Amino acid sequence: MATAVAELQAAKQATPQQRRDWLPGYLFIGPAVLLFLVFVAAPLVAAFGLSLFHWDLLSTPEFAGLDNFRQLVTDEATIRAVINTFVFATASVVTHIGIGMLLALGVHRTMTRGTKYFVRTAYFFPFLVSWAAVALIWKYVLDPSFGLATHYLSSLGLPVTNWLASPTWALPTLIVVDWWHTIGYTFIILLAGLQTVPAQLHEAARVDGANAWWRFWSVTLPVMSPTIFFATVITFIGAFQIFDPMLIMTNGGPDGATQSIVMYTYEKGFQSFEVGYAAALSLVLFLVIMIATGLQFRLSRRWVHQ
Amino acid sequence: MNGPALNGVALKGRLLDLVLVLGGLLMIAPLVWLIVTALSQPIDAFQLPPRWIPRPPTLENFQQVPDLIPFARMAWNSLQIALITTAGSLLTSALAAYAFSRLRFPGRDQIFLVLLAALVVPVQLTVVPVFILMRWLHLVDTSVAIWLPALVNVFGIFFLRQYIASIPRELDEAAIMDGAGHFWILFRVILPLARPGLTALGIFVFEASWNNFFWPYIFLSSPEKMTLPVGLVSLQGAMGGGPAVVLFAAITLVVLPILVLFLIFQRSFIASIASTGLRA
Repeated sequence: MATAVAELQAAKQATPQQRRDWLPGYLFIGPAVLLFLVFVAAPLVAAFGLSLFHWDLLSTPEFAGLDNFRQLVTDEATIRAVINTFVFATASVVTHIGIGMLLALGVHRTMTRGTKYFVRTAYFFPFLVSWAAVALIWKYVLDPSFGLATHYLSSLGLPVTNWLASPTWALPTLIVVDWWHTIGYTFIILLAGLQTVPAQLHEAARVDGANAWWRFWSVTLPVMSPTIFFATVITFIGAFQIFDPMLIMTNGGPDGATQSIVMYTYEKGFQSFEVGYAAALSLVLFLVIMIATGLQFRLSRRWVHQ
Repeated sequence: MNGPALNGVALKGRLLDLVLVLGGLLMIAPLVWLIVTALSQPIDAFQLPPRWIPRPPTLENFQQVPDLIPFARMAWNSLQIALITTAGSLLTSALAAYAFSRLRFPGRDQIFLVLLAALVVPVQLTVVPVFILMRWLHLVDTSVAIWLPALVNVFGIFFLRQYIASIPRELDEAAIMDGAGHFWILFRVILPLARPGLTALGIFVFEASWNNFFWPYIFLSSPEKMTLPVGLVSLQGAMGGGPAVVLFAAITLVVLPILVLFLIFQRSFIASIASTGLRA
């Protein structure tokens, strides 16, 4: 507020020379800001409003107070969806950062050009495929009678099952498919971060007698920490909004085992037309993302080097 | 050959190479299987163990795709939406990025911060109100409902602002001395210098639009309006165990252009992805 007031005063005292930029400034940000107001800011406010009503899109909206939120805390399907989403997001972050880091370290070595090119491209390719195609391909890969995965796993003597139809295995299966689809992104980001670590630092540590593990711990990790932090936040936010594989591969089933918050919001908003309830659910999603992101920023002060 | 010098460390390196390559093969196996199956005779497809080399390869399945979905129509919809989204959002982002990095006006930094904060607003939160708005405007089930909201790209504004900030100001100051207006400076001085950034962002936006599923799935319902990803998924329900090879051919047609595009623009694409992490 204080800065706004100060700025207003500064603006009053602005010379014509300085004022010359004002009109072009507003004109240039105009299109983006206008679209932002119509398609982001206003809908955000509207979602708050809608969450206070019962509405099926056809009849007159009926004021409901906090009914939708009361329903939220008692609705078992909601609680299930929130738990599933947390499990999915946590598993997603751990597997993306963990294996992504190993991959980045594996590729950031001297190897032939061809090998490096192949490995980088191969891990990145799935990221370029639309979720729609990914989900359809994997439904066939996992098919219990003619799927690739089933065939090779059982020929290795491993137990197989109808993964997507199993209440136990459906969610872990989707975690694996999501990992396959998006690990390329995490990998490239972590690799780029790894390439920013100055070689001299490693050299200095080596001279001091630090072994490979200690050099990784005391040089690589601290320098890379902002990148790892960014990758963690992005993976978490993305995983929290997971919807496409649930819709296409399992339809939230079997028996709600893969129901995610967004999937449930979609069902409520666009299938059973409980628009107010859907808005309340999407606010929960927003709130959780905000809290989790804020928490990660707070925790990051302990381990991320600025 | 450095035969005798192949010591323990080098051997370990080769082993690690081998593990990474095997992992890479596993990663692309589903995609290879997709393409091979799409090229196979229907009787050869889905054999176990899988035949990794179709014999002889056939384009028959591809020819049957139009019998299942209006593929050309959907491809055109996808392309049109992706092109409008890319061109339009690059334009609005470049204009805003220029103002945010080069022009001084009251409220500039506050407005920028509000835009940035909106990056954490999930589209799932705005989709219901936007749907109601679009219904009121009679724009549901039209391509406008897909590309119009996508014309504002906060990430793009942020990305280009950083990029423009790295271009020396002396260049535009010289142009101002010569009496050039801001439009002229932006389009003739700044944007040509920012071309690598624009290319990277453009590829990124195009790919995201081409592959987008959630938003078009909500807004588009008639087959002749659908984009490819939505069309593919609608096929799944409509076929009821029909020829899966044809579905594989259709998926291949959606996936392949993006993979080829990637191989052409790999360098700037990887650079754009990597910079999303580095500039954070």
